[in-house]
Amino acid sequence: MSHDPSIWITALLTLAIFSFLWRENPVFRFAEHLLVGVSAGYYVVQYFYSGVVKKLIVPVEQNFAANGLLIFGGVLGLLMFARLWRRLAWLARYPIAFYVAAGAGYFIPSILEANVLKQIGGTLTAPAAAATPFALFSAVVMAAGVLASLVYFYFSVEHRGAVGVVSRAGILFLMIGFGASFGYTVMGRITLLIGRFQFLFRDWLGLGL
Amino acid sequence: MSLGARLARVDRRLIFLLMTLAVAGPILIPIKLPIIVSKEVEDFYREIEALSPGDHVLLAIDYEPDVMAELSPMSEAVLDRLFAKDTKIVALTLYPGGVGIAQGLLEEAAARHGKTYGEDYVFLGYNPDYSGTMLRLGESIKATYPTDQFGRDTRDLPILRDCDAYRDLSLLVSICGSQLSEFWAAYAGGRYGQRMVSGNTAVQAILIYPFYQSGQIKGFLGGLKGAAEYETRIQRPGQGVRGMGSQTAGHVVIVLLVLVGNAGYLAARRRRA
Repeated sequence: MSHDPSIWITALLTLAIFSFLWRENPVFRFAEHLLVGVSAGYYVVQYFYSGVVKKLIVPVEQNFAANGLLIFGGVLGLLMFARLWRRLAWLARYPIAFYVAAGAGYFIPSILEANVLKQIGGTLTAPAAAATPFALFSAVVMAAGVLASLVYFYFSVEHRGAVGVVSRAGILFLMIGFGASFGYTVMGRITLLIGRFQFLFRDWLGLGL
Repeated sequence: MSLGARLARVDRRLIFLLMTLAVAGPILIPIKLPIIVSKEVEDFYREIEALSPGDHVLLAIDYEPDVMAELSPMSEAVLDRLFAKDTKIVALTLYPGGVGIAQGLLEEAAARHGKTYGEDYVFLGYNPDYSGTMLRLGESIKATYPTDQFGRDTRDLPILRDCDAYRDLSLLVSICGSQLSEFWAAYAGGRYGQRMVSGNTAVQAILIYPFYQSGQIKGFLGGLKGAAEYETRIQRPGQGVRGMGSQTAGHVVIVLLVLVGNAGYLAARRRRA
């Protein structure tokens, strides 16, 4: 069994959180509130150090002539806090507008290319690039699935006849996608439980796994 | 009482107990299962193996403690392999909660391989605004990170002497618990042509397939299974391989519960009809 106090604290807090599985209780509440409080403190310090100290105070102090413009960003950031006072809340719109405009500027072209154009290209060219019969089959199924799913979301035509058949095939592809997503989610959640058990058995109890 | 009604009244704590036994059992009594390496993991492996000694690799450890169990096995395996190949690791995180994780992983791996900070690896720390950071790294690493995590001037670090942008990096490895791998692909890959691979949580993995299929991400590890496959491929069994027994047992329980639940539902519906 571990002699490290930090391991003991972690293990007891883990058990406190697990106690919720039996029922709601004060020990669980304590651990939950502690997590929220410690996280908030950690994030405030980390954001302040990384954002304000490293990106504003230090550069401006070191070379005001080159980095003085950073103060403009600092003032914009401070204006965000104007939302705390009703009469000054309107001032917060300026940094928000600045942030949204800059974000949209570099977000839209890059994401459109990566998430739409390149993926359309990849889907359409996959059959031609297939090296084996199975790869060709997979590529054709994928292309058919994409088209059928798109038809399902095309509401300008009534889903009857041939369109209805393709639309129903689209639902099947979507269901398979959701099923795969659920399977991966289960795997992710079980992994988190494995992580906690490995910690409790190995690091805390020293079972030497 | 009908079967459906009886199933509906099962104490949920019984299900928790079943899951606990299924997951804890194989940890205490390990089960050895065959692990087949998938194509995406093989491609990930090939990208790492194609690196030469002295190549610079950007390692983005973009996750926080909530998904450590899934992603740290990947990070450990990748760091071990990169150090074993004598590549130069430029590490960073775009999550404030990732600082302690990344620093710990780097220091432990460097100690295992006898690597020197500043020469063989550097930890640039956390930088706010992920989009801006990814884009600026294409212009200058030293301008984006004037100092490393420990306040040292990045211009003075030997590892960054000949490395200042994506053009100087041979590979980007994004180990990520959110959408950031997709943004790395869009900004670093799409805009600057940076070659990249990723390691992702299981929840995120399904969203990475379109990027892998379209060639924007050259290979990836999905969840603990991806980590186990990579550990198997590099013949370094670790937490990923050890967790596969519990994964399998947990999945068997879930599948059985889904089947039993559906059987109960159908029985109840037939009774009502």
